[in-house]
Amino acid sequence: MLRYTIKRIIGLIPTLFLVSIFVFLFVHFIPGDPARLVAGQDATLEDIARVEKELGLDQPIHVQYINFISGIFHGDFGTSLKTGRPVMDEIGLRFMPTFWLTIWSMVWAVIIGLVIGVISATNRNKWQDYLGMFGAVSGISMPTFWLGLMLIQLFAVHWGIFPTGGMDHSWKSYILPSFTLGLGVAAVVARFTRSSLMDTLKEDYIRTGRAKGLVERKVVWGHALKNAMIPIVTMTGLQFGFLLGGSVVVETVFNWPGLGRLLIDSVAFRDYTVIQGELLLFSLEFILINLIVDLIYSFLNPQIRFD
Amino acid sequence: MRKTSLFKIFSILVIFALALVGCSAGGSKTNNESSDNKQQKIVKKDGKDITIAVAADFTTMDPYDTNDTLSYSVQKTMLQGLVGFDKDMKVVPVLAEEYSSNDEATEFTFKLRKGITFHDGTPFNAEAVKVNLDRATNPNSTLIRSSLFSVIKETVVVDEYTVKVILSEPFGAMINTFAHPAAMMISPKAIAEYGDNVAQHPVGTGPYVFKDWQPGDHLTVVKNSDYWNATGNEVDSITFKPTPENGTRIAMLQAGDADLIYPVPTESIDSIKGKEGIIVENDPSIVVYYLSMNTMKKPFDDVRVRQAINYAINKDAFIGVVHNGYASPLKSVIAPNTQFYSEQKGYDFDLEKAKKLMAEAGYADGFTTTLWGSNASSTMKAMEFLQQQLAQINIKVKIESMESGTLADKIWNVQTPEEAEIELYYGGWSPSTGDADWGIRPLLGGANSFPPSSYNTAYYNNEEVNQLIGDALKTADSSERGKIYVKVQEKIWKDAPWAFLAVTDTTYGHKNYLKGAFVLPDGSLNVDQMKIVQ
Repeated sequence: MLRYTIKRIIGLIPTLFLVSIFVFLFVHFIPGDPARLVAGQDATLEDIARVEKELGLDQPIHVQYINFISGIFHGDFGTSLKTGRPVMDEIGLRFMPTFWLTIWSMVWAVIIGLVIGVISATNRNKWQDYLGMFGAVSGISMPTFWLGLMLIQLFAVHWGIFPTGGMDHSWKSYILPSFTLGLGVAAVVARFTRSSLMDTLKEDYIRTGRAKGLVERKVVWGHALKNAMIPIVTMTGLQFGFLLGGSVVVETVFNWPGLGRLLIDSVAFRDYTVIQGELLLFSLEFILINLIVDLIYSFLNPQIRFD
Repeated sequence: MRKTSLFKIFSILVIFALALVGCSAGGSKTNNESSDNKQQKIVKKDGKDITIAVAADFTTMDPYDTNDTLSYSVQKTMLQGLVGFDKDMKVVPVLAEEYSSNDEATEFTFKLRKGITFHDGTPFNAEAVKVNLDRATNPNSTLIRSSLFSVIKETVVVDEYTVKVILSEPFGAMINTFAHPAAMMISPKAIAEYGDNVAQHPVGTGPYVFKDWQPGDHLTVVKNSDYWNATGNEVDSITFKPTPENGTRIAMLQAGDADLIYPVPTESIDSIKGKEGIIVENDPSIVVYYLSMNTMKKPFDDVRVRQAINYAINKDAFIGVVHNGYASPLKSVIAPNTQFYSEQKGYDFDLEKAKKLMAEAGYADGFTTTLWGSNASSTMKAMEFLQQQLAQINIKVKIESMESGTLADKIWNVQTPEEAEIELYYGGWSPSTGDADWGIRPLLGGANSFPPSSYNTAYYNNEEVNQLIGDALKTADSSERGKIYVKVQEKIWKDAPWAFLAVTDTTYGHKNYLKGAFVLPDGSLNVDQMKIVQ
C-alpha cells in the first residue's frame, strides 16, 4: 500500500510538468495584453512599454517559459502582474478561506445528501422518494446566486441572525455560504446515493441479512450503504476537487476572499502568473484527491488492492 | 391508476408553485409609502467604527502606481497632496498654503504649511516633497503614473517650507496634476525603508493611519490622533470591504453590516432609500458616455451622417432606460464640472432632421455597421438602446460586446489608422485631473492620440483643434485657457465625431447617522469631514 502511494506521488511530477506547459501556452495565447491593462486607461505608449519590460513580457515566449519553470524549482511562482505581490502570497492568502468553505460545504452536502438518498432508496416510488428527488432536482437546478441572495435577505437583513457576508472568523459567517454551496452538491450526492443504494439493496447478501433477523436500519446503514459507497465516494471526491478550485458565484455573493474570485479577476486582468499558479494548484489538488479516493476504495472494499 | 392521478396532482402543484414564484419575483422598484430621505428618525449606531462597502478590490496603496479610483479613495484617508479637489472639482490648497506659477507655465512654486508630521513622525517639509517628486521622475522608475510627472525637469528646495517645480516645457494644467490623487505625499522615511513596497505600507499625513490589509477581504485604517487638521469628529476606524456583488452590497447596508456603500446600482435606489435609516445621494460626476464614430471610414467621414446620428438619439430616453434617470444629457465634450466646460446647443432629438441629413448625404436607405463595447450589463443595455434608435434612420447596427481584455486588444493592436476595423464604439471617459485637457486630448487630440497611443477611437484629426489644444497648454493663465477651450468645444461639437450621450451621477448610500462623507465627481470618496451623529 505504502509503495503504491509513493509510486503515485512520484508520478505527480511528470503530470504536473505536462500540465504546466499546457497552462502556460493556453494563458499566453488568449488575446489581450496585460501590460496595457496594468498600465491603465490614462497610459501612454511609453508607460505600456515600460510595464511590459518590468513584467518580463517583452521576452520571447520560450524564454518566459524557462524563467517560469526554473522559478518553480526554487519555489518562486513569480509575482502577480497586477499587484506586484508574490503569487504564492496571493494564492496563499485565499487558500485557507476556500479550503474551510469547501470542508463545511461538503459536511452539509454529505449529511443532507446521504440522508435524503437513503430515505429515497429505502422508500422507492413512495412519496418520500418523490419528495427527495424533487428536492434533489431543485437543488441542482437552482441558481446559486439567487439562493445566496435570498438567504442573505432572509437571514441577514430580515432576521439579522447571520452576517451578510465576508469571512470574519466567527462560525456564523460560515453558515450561509457553506449551506448555499453545499446544497447544490447535496443534491448530486442524494441522487448518486439513491441509485447506488437501490442497486446494492437488490443483492443477495442483503436478503440474507434480513432473513438472519437483523434490524432494517442496521441492514441499510451498516451493510448496504458501506457497499454502495464506492460510486458515492468517487463523485464526492470529484465535487470536493471542484470546490477546492473555489466557487466564483458563492464567493462573489458572500464576499468570501477565496480562490475562485482570484481566478476570475486574474483572467479578466490577464494576470498570467497568478492564473498559471492557480491552474497548477488545481491540477495538483485533483491529482491528490484522485489518489485519496483510490486509497479509500481499498478501505471500503478490501478486495480492491493495488499492489 | 392511483399512481397516475398522484403524478397529475404533483405536476399541477409544481406548475402552480413555479407560476407563483414567477409572479412575485422581481419586487417593485417604486416606493409605495411616500418616504422622504430626510423624514426618517436617526438610526442608532453602536460604537465609532465605520464599515464602507465598495464595488471592487484595491490594487495598491502607492498613489504613484495606481490607476483605479477605488484605491485612490482609500489612499486619500491616509495620504494628502499639496493641493486637492473640493466637492465641485475645484483645486483647493491642502498641504500647500499657497501656490503660484510664472507666466510661461514652466515654474510652479508652493509655500507649504508648517508643523505637519507624517504618521511615522517624519516632518513634512520641502525636502519631503522633493523626495516624492524625484521618485516619480526617476527615469528608471516603473511606476504607472510616472508619465503624469515626466514634464518635471527638476524639483528645487528653496527653503524649508518652499519648493519650486521646474518643467521642461510649458504645461498650463500642471496644478491640476498636483491635485490629482497620484501626487499625494508619502513619508520619505517610508520610501527609504520600503522602496516600492510602500504599496503595502502607506505612511502619510492624513486623518487616518493604515492598520491592515487582507486582499479580497478588507482594509482597515484607524484614527490619527495627531492629525494637523482634526475636527474632533473623526471616527475610531474605517474598514473598507470590497463587495463586487450589487445585491450583497445593498444587503449589507440594509442589515447594518455596512454604514456606507458606493456605488449604488441605479435600478435599486428607489427600493432602498428612505427605509431603515438609509439615505441615497446622487450628484453629477465627471464621467461622460459617448458613441464614437470612425471619421476615417465611410460613411462616418461625412459630417451630415454624424450629425444625423446625434439628432436620431433621444438622450432623455437614453438616460431613463440605461441609467434609470440618474444622469444628465451631455452638452459638450466634457462634463459640466470639468474645468473649462462650455455648454453647447443643438442636437435635440429630431427624427425628421436626422432623416433629412441622411438623405442629403445620400444614405436615405441607411447602411449596416458594427458597434463595439464591453460586456458589462449596463453597457449591453446601452448598446441595445442605441441599436434601436439608429434603426429608426435605417442604420442596421450589429452589436459586438467583448470582455475588456479582448476589446482592448482589438482597439489597440492596430498600428495604422488604415488597419483599424473599429466603426462605432460605445464607452465612457473620466478626466482624472478634472481638467479639460485630459478630457479632450487623449480622446480627440488628432493623430497623436490615435490608437495605439491613446483613446482616439473616432480617429478625429482636425488641424485647427489640434493647434488650439496645444496652445491651451502653453499658458497657466486660467482665463486664457478658458477662452481657448470654448473654441475647442464649439468646433468639436459642430464636427460631431461622437454622438454626445450623457453625464452619469455618482451614487452612494449611507445610514442617516453618518454625515459628511461624500463622493466627488471623479468617483473618489472623501471622508475628511465624516462624523457620526446620534
